[in-house]
Amino acid sequence: MFEKILIANRGEIALRIHRACRELGIQTVAVHSTADADAMHVRLADESVCIGPPPSRGSYLNMPAILSAATVTGADAIHPGVGFLAENADFAQMVVEHGFTFIGPTPEHIRVMGDKISAKLAMRRLGVPVVPGTDDPVTDDATAERLARDIGFPVLVKAAAGGGGRGMKLARSPGELAGALAAARAEAKAAFGNDAVYLEKFLERPRHIELQVLGDGQGSVIHLGERDCSLQRRHQKLLEEAPSPALNADERIRLGERVLAAMTELDYASAGTLEFLYEDGRFYFIEMNTRLQVEHPVSEMITGIDLVREQIRIAAGGRIGIAQDQVRFSGHAIEVRINAEHPVTFVPSPGRIGDYHAPGGPGVRVDSALYAGYRVPPHYDSLISKLIVYGATRNECLMRLRRALEEYVIDGIETTIPLHRRVIGATDFINGDYDIHWLERFVEQPQAPA
Amino acid sequence: MNKHQIDADLVRRLAALLDETGLTELEYSTNSLRVRVAKNHGGAAVSVAVPPPAAPSAGAAARETTAPARGEHPGAVTSPMVGTAYCAPEPGAMPFVKVGDAVRPGQTLLIIEAMKVMNPVAAPRAGTVTEILVRDAQPVEYGEVLLIIE
Repeated sequence: MFEKILIANRGEIALRIHRACRELGIQTVAVHSTADADAMHVRLADESVCIGPPPSRGSYLNMPAILSAATVTGADAIHPGVGFLAENADFAQMVVEHGFTFIGPTPEHIRVMGDKISAKLAMRRLGVPVVPGTDDPVTDDATAERLARDIGFPVLVKAAAGGGGRGMKLARSPGELAGALAAARAEAKAAFGNDAVYLEKFLERPRHIELQVLGDGQGSVIHLGERDCSLQRRHQKLLEEAPSPALNADERIRLGERVLAAMTELDYASAGTLEFLYEDGRFYFIEMNTRLQVEHPVSEMITGIDLVREQIRIAAGGRIGIAQDQVRFSGHAIEVRINAEHPVTFVPSPGRIGDYHAPGGPGVRVDSALYAGYRVPPHYDSLISKLIVYGATRNECLMRLRRALEEYVIDGIETTIPLHRRVIGATDFINGDYDIHWLERFVEQPQAPA
Repeated sequence: MNKHQIDADLVRRLAALLDETGLTELEYSTNSLRVRVAKNHGGAAVSVAVPPPAAPSAGAAARETTAPARGEHPGAVTSPMVGTAYCAPEPGAMPFVKVGDAVRPGQTLLIIEAMKVMNPVAAPRAGTVTEILVRDAQPVEYGEVLLIIE
């Protein structure tokens, strides 16, 4: 087992990793930018190393600085967290070449799943249903129209080198295709330096359903069930729940079996998540994230499995040790992401936290690095807290979530807590009846006068 | 400047401890006070600082920090990267600079090694080296004060 792990990330996820390490008796090294010198996990870590200036390029994305910090502190392994370098196959490769263990999947699996087209091809070959689309970039408009008719309108024109929901244009009919192609190419060129585009079927009212997997790279893979992450604004998730209110037991079992077969064939190691769009009873693979995800706690709550601990254990050579039918699913969990943003305008709101009081009581978990007096820096994403509630049933969760949000005090900055309180009171949400467009329609509604 | 009565007795005891133990640096902190005594080439140097009244700093004693005054010193030369600081071009050679040396702009003051690459740290201006705050082969972090040039 490792003696010392370097945490190559920041914010609440760095604190999460620190906690898992400490519970395993492992020493932690927190690398941080100058802006994060007073971060909670930096203060709690056994050692801390300042690796660069606030801009991520100079610090959290700075591979030589991170490797150098690992060398001078004598770390055994590096956990990349979420985002930043977590899905950078080159970084994973460098970590290994320098004699450290990378706590995550192999560089090869990161590479295959990082390229969206190759990921779909790999999944299709492994028998996982994918969104119908073109296998190669489309080069001329005439071919594009023929292929689009094969797929069936409406179609999305997507950047091959893209991601994060950018570089996508919709064509509802053949007449709109030429314009969508031109616009998507231009945006792709500007954003990614590469104007290659491909076509994909556009689903009108899908839900976003993802499956959490865990493999040990020694022949065992299990899944921890699905998460419904359909509540999104501009492709950013706001709330996640497990299990999905939309699936029945049969669908759940079938999806799990198909994914497990694929992941076992890959001999996937560490944690990973396969993301699907789900519409009219059918699943369509869109991408795989070869890392821990922000919303991992909801899967932990319903299975009792500590995903970060398992990542560490597996990276140190441990085996899964249980079969799929020994994974126990129990109850329901919901996570809300609380951002440092105005709840209506979404204008970012960094600054100094005044009073801080986190909710508690049965079934309440707060994953946050906030404390009274902490200054939320302006340089990074706005996620400042994850409030997770667990209950025996979905209804119990809803009541508990409403109660917990009432208690939560974060003074001094704007947060999206008021937005969450409105969302969970909406009839559609209470009924579990929402798709990936629901939240954007909801926030556009004029609010009833107070 | 600090507005507190200096506890001369405490400082004397810390300085005596330095001699007794052969250490080159000692830092002592409580919630309201932090005292650092360090032996440089010329003799023991003392800095007394009151940490800002913000939330208490867990593990302050465990961390190797330079006294706050140094970071704001106009002549502070800080590390541009995380790595290992070397004061001489190779083991056993004469150090690049000593306290008291006059330096020219661009003159190599020390080397930071990171990932097997040696990165010289150059003097940003002409002046005299008044303090060297790192030992040979000491790990340094980004922004850490390496020396003072006045």
